[in-house]
Amino acid sequence: MLNISSSVAEAKIDINVNDIMTKDVVTVKGDATILDLLKLFKKYHYHNYPVVTPGGDLAGVVCEDVVLRCLLIGSVPSAMFGRSITKFLGEDAKGIMDHHPITISPNASLEEAANLMIKHSANHICVVENKKLVGILSKRDIINEIYKRRRME
Amino acid sequence: MHILLQILLLLLLAKAFGEFFERMGFPSVLGEISAGLLLVSVFLLTPEDEILKFLAGLGAIFFLFTAGYKETNLHELRATFKQSLLPATFGVTVPFIFGFLLGKMFNFPFLECLFIGVVFTPTSIGMTVRTLIDLDYLSTRVGSIRLNASILDDILCLFLLAVVIQISLYHKVLAGQLLTMGGKLAAFIIIMVILGLHILPKLFEYIQKMHVEEAIFTGVIVVALFSAFLAEKFGLHAVIGAFIGGIILSTIPIAKIQDVQDKVSGFSYGIFVPIFFAFIGLSVDLSALSTAGLFAALLIILALAGKVIGGFIGSKLVGLDSYDSLIYGVGGMPRVGVELVVIAVARSMGIIGPEVFSAVVLMVAVSVIVTPLFLKYTIELKERSKRIAS
Repeated sequence: MLNISSSVAEAKIDINVNDIMTKDVVTVKGDATILDLLKLFKKYHYHNYPVVTPGGDLAGVVCEDVVLRCLLIGSVPSAMFGRSITKFLGEDAKGIMDHHPITISPNASLEEAANLMIKHSANHICVVENKKLVGILSKRDIINEIYKRRRME
Repeated sequence: MHILLQILLLLLLAKAFGEFFERMGFPSVLGEISAGLLLVSVFLLTPEDEILKFLAGLGAIFFLFTAGYKETNLHELRATFKQSLLPATFGVTVPFIFGFLLGKMFNFPFLECLFIGVVFTPTSIGMTVRTLIDLDYLSTRVGSIRLNASILDDILCLFLLAVVIQISLYHKVLAGQLLTMGGKLAAFIIIMVILGLHILPKLFEYIQKMHVEEAIFTGVIVVALFSAFLAEKFGLHAVIGAFIGGIILSTIPIAKIQDVQDKVSGFSYGIFVPIFFAFIGLSVDLSALSTAGLFAALLIILALAGKVIGGFIGSKLVGLDSYDSLIYGVGGMPRVGVELVVIAVARSMGIIGPEVFSAVVLMVAVSVIVTPLFLKYTIELKERSKRIAS
């Protein structure tokens, strides 16, 4: 039987975000159209795509929820039609992205990353160093890593 | 009636009636106001109840705070500022003058005239957006200018509200006092900007690392209350402080995490804002409305005409053709938000009477009902002229 609590305690000591994050991230540019995004969702299985500037800085994140809202704009209740509706009217990634994604430093501990994700019910967090996107970390990455380490014992 | 039962009824009926209006294609706010009307006549709730008054006051604060925090995007505003400024300025100035003159026409005191002017200025874009989407007109240039200018309309309205509140404190408009007023407003904004640029980002970084539950959410609410309180200390109104506090907070990434935004939205729109709108319904005096027939009718006509004329002139000046300028003006007619805060503030300060209050609520209802019809007609006119030209 896998002892989860001891796994986390052990993880806390020697794993940081940089060790287990996905470094080869599928990103989109700010001017990617909704159609480009739809193609991306068809091609990969990710739920979120970081939007990066030409210099590699993280500008925001486009998630499935927002794309779905954009597609269904004609049928959302009018209670939704406040100013925040502009978010779902954008024609490119820059126009519809979440400007304030949850981020973490690559040097942060696994425990910090896990706590952040649980606290904000986020499945992924962007790993950022000096504003540059250097990776992405998912809850599954953390779970898989702990599982791998336990099996190696 | 026990206060818990009163709050329960307010929330339950506000949401039930809101849902009904929503399904009918109108903003849920109208349902929430109707719930208040029913509660005062059937369940005999009274707007004089101190606890309800306090909760409605919090509702107004969190309504404007959420508008600033969640719905205002400073980057977007900056990007569209140039093209929206003229249409918004005219779309605010002309209705303000119309409102002021209407008050003068009916011999209302100077301050009441100013408040009627302010009430005429904001724009609620919801019904317009819905109609423009239905007619596939939102992605046009006029659609985008209309959307962006509505944010400026509300900002200008709140600026005017701040000025008018200051005038009401001094009772007279003298040059020296105007300077003091401007100084107070500027000092408040400077303090908030310094907080937003240098203190709050660091504070929220620390808050994010805290172990206690919901620390960021509480941090956001604390900033809302602090900015409302500070505004009061500067002789501005709490609602104005809350709006500015919301805008300042909207630039801090940790405070704007989606999960936190959702919680703040639930806190405001799930509890306090419906209580505020239902309280507006509670405060409507139907008997005052029946005696103020001509005044109410003129208030509605001028409030709508002011937006159309002001918007038309402003958008012509930025190069829209006559049809698009008319679409812009008509699109600015709906009011169902900030003006209700303005009348609540004016009422609590004892500046406006029941007839103005009730007539404004009626104007809100009429504006959202007629806008889609006028807008459809105006767009049809444009399409017809295009067909004839081709």
